[in-house]
Amino acid sequence: MRIVFEEMLEHLNVELIKMGALCEDAITCAVKALLDGNSEMAEKAYAAEKAIDDKEREIEALCMKLLLRQQPVAKDLRTVSSALKMISDMERIGDQASDIAEITKFISGDNSFGKTHIKDMAEAAVKMVTDSVNSFVKSDLNAAKCVIIEDDTVDELFIKVKDELIALIAEDPKKGEYCIDIMMIAKYLERIGDHATNIAEWVEYSITGTHKNEKRND
Amino acid sequence: MTRKIFTGIISVAVLVMCLCSAFLIGILYEYFGNIVSAELKNEAYFISKGISAEGDEYLNEITDFRNRITVINTDGSVFYDSSGDAQSMDNHSLREEVKEAFATGEGSSSRYSDTLGTRNLYYALKMDDGRVLRVSGKVNSVWSLVLGVLQPMTVVLVLAIIAAGLLSSAIAKHILRPVNSIDLNNPELDEPYEELAPLLKKIRVQNSRIKSQMHELKRKQTEFSIITENMSEGFLIIDDKTEILSYNSAALRLLGVSAEDAAKSRSVLAINRSESFRTAVELALDGKHNEQPMSIGESCSHIVSNPVFHDGNVTGVIIIILDVTEKEQREQLRREFTSNVSHELKTPLTTIYGISDMLAGGIVKADDVKGFSETIRSEASRMITLIDDIIKLSRLDENGSGIEKCDVDIFETAKAVAGRLAHTAEKAGVSVSVKGESCFVYGAPAILEEMIYNLTENAIKYNCENGKVIITAEAVNGRPVVIVEDTGIGIPDEAQKRVFERFYRVDKSHSRRIGGTGLGLSIVKHAAAFHNADLKLESKVNVGTKITVAF
Repeated sequence: MRIVFEEMLEHLNVELIKMGALCEDAITCAVKALLDGNSEMAEKAYAAEKAIDDKEREIEALCMKLLLRQQPVAKDLRTVSSALKMISDMERIGDQASDIAEITKFISGDNSFGKTHIKDMAEAAVKMVTDSVNSFVKSDLNAAKCVIIEDDTVDELFIKVKDELIALIAEDPKKGEYCIDIMMIAKYLERIGDHATNIAEWVEYSITGTHKNEKRND
Repeated sequence: MTRKIFTGIISVAVLVMCLCSAFLIGILYEYFGNIVSAELKNEAYFISKGISAEGDEYLNEITDFRNRITVINTDGSVFYDSSGDAQSMDNHSLREEVKEAFATGEGSSSRYSDTLGTRNLYYALKMDDGRVLRVSGKVNSVWSLVLGVLQPMTVVLVLAIIAAGLLSSAIAKHILRPVNSIDLNNPELDEPYEELAPLLKKIRVQNSRIKSQMHELKRKQTEFSIITENMSEGFLIIDDKTEILSYNSAALRLLGVSAEDAAKSRSVLAINRSESFRTAVELALDGKHNEQPMSIGESCSHIVSNPVFHDGNVTGVIIIILDVTEKEQREQLRREFTSNVSHELKTPLTTIYGISDMLAGGIVKADDVKGFSETIRSEASRMITLIDDIIKLSRLDENGSGIEKCDVDIFETAKAVAGRLAHTAEKAGVSVSVKGESCFVYGAPAILEEMIYNLTENAIKYNCENGKVIITAEAVNGRPVVIVEDTGIGIPDEAQKRVFERFYRVDKSHSRRIGGTGLGLSIVKHAAAFHNADLKLESKVNVGTKITVAF
């Protein structure tokens, strides 16, 4: 019985790694589509998003099976429950990546955003996702904490990009629509940063047994 | 085993004791019966003697009745009975013992009384006057006897069982102690029981077989790890759950993973989860052989993954990672070279074509024709130089086959080169001096001269006003060395690695004015390689450059 359980847990781990990798692909492709205006990359981001959705179903079913049949306790229970939470964050990252890819279609050809910090922001968001998946794969508490801190950088960049876009509209009011598109992308990137933070927090929870909310209550 | 021996011994002991007790009771019962009947016989004899001596009065004298005494008349009626009223008793002539006594003079019988749980023994004796005297006594039955002796017997039995238990456990331990202390690694050293000999022999044989098999396994494993560890290709074996079964250090190096991380992670995807790697693993798990290009950081790899089949199912995957960085870089260089060559060839050709077009169209003034022809001439000569250089390079690329070698005095060669370049140096305002002594190199004279020429020409071209160029040819520690030093503009650090590449120019605009094909140092590099010489470049921007060729 324990052997079956161990195998199922390892299977869950592998599936989570795959899903994390898909998230990385999705966001990397979306950002490439944005920065290089590469529509092929946008298509890849859509495909990754679909694969992520399927993976979410699959992992959900696996977690339920684990909970019902094996009734895990202590650390194993935390692993399974944090996996359940993590996949919904990963799924959101996939959705937002595909949303970004969608918007890139409308702004192709115009790269006035080169003047703004959107590139830095996109790179920071990709790094956060990669780092959060890394922290999960290696069960690395320090890496998870770094991701949580990193979120502030993305938030700051978001404010910066917002100010820059306001200045851009003031300069040339005709660019209003374009700027709002970029604003949306910035918002999505900011949300992706938040989801990456959540993933890191769940990694922290599965290792230590304390989630950030509990700490606040202390 | 101890327990088995213990229970065996104790159950045998209990069984024996129970059987003994039963036999004893049976014997005792028989014995008591015999004693009672002998007693009855004696009593009857004495009483009959008494009666015949003293008459019936004797009967009244007997008061202490342990047994019942009856006197029966010849007709069967009871004359006297010690237990009660003789008159009311029925005729006894049909009683077995009485009948026997009337017939033979004495008789005996026994009858059970179920209600009392006793046995009555009767003895009858025919007296001298013809009457019969009967004496009867009671004997306890088997069960009452058993009940009687039960208590002491139980105590004895329990004590005996306890003693048997202690003894048997001690015996069991004693028997097994030597068996337990057998050294299974060397079973032949002690053989406590000869019954164990075949078993121990078998163990010994198996021990030696296991030892040899372990040895064989270890040898195979070492062999395998020597092969995989010395492969420059990365090698990974995973099972159908993507769990890592084996890997070599080259795989870790190519994937950029530390051995620590690899040892910690069970799934191969924890090591690398890039898209191409995942695809390679997944396709192979579906049973498809496939090859994927993959780039990690700056290096390029090629992943070959093969499914492992067992009974028609995929049970694992063998992944081989090839480092194609160098190949990729060479490919890149070749592409750059081709495009550079075509570009360099096209530029003079375009000029020549344009001018000749104008000349053919007759739109050129007669005064300008000379100028234009001059341009065509210089462009054509540029092209010839370029093609010459390319030919030299390609000849060197083919390892210079067919080039004759002889002993060359590099000092003389350097002097000759300095003489050929004196005019150029003068124009550039640079002084060229040759130092050293004559020393010989076994090599191709034309290539050596070309090499020194290129180096010196560069030293003159990339020099400053009133600069100096020193060519040194001498033997250092028995090795012939050519050093070309200048006091020129120098080469920036980041460019130093690349100056030997074909068509590489440190400063593109500068080069245009100075001229040259961009192949000079590349030829030097190949020429040095052809002579197995070491090439060393030391340079500082605005201080100078020193190139050393050690043969």
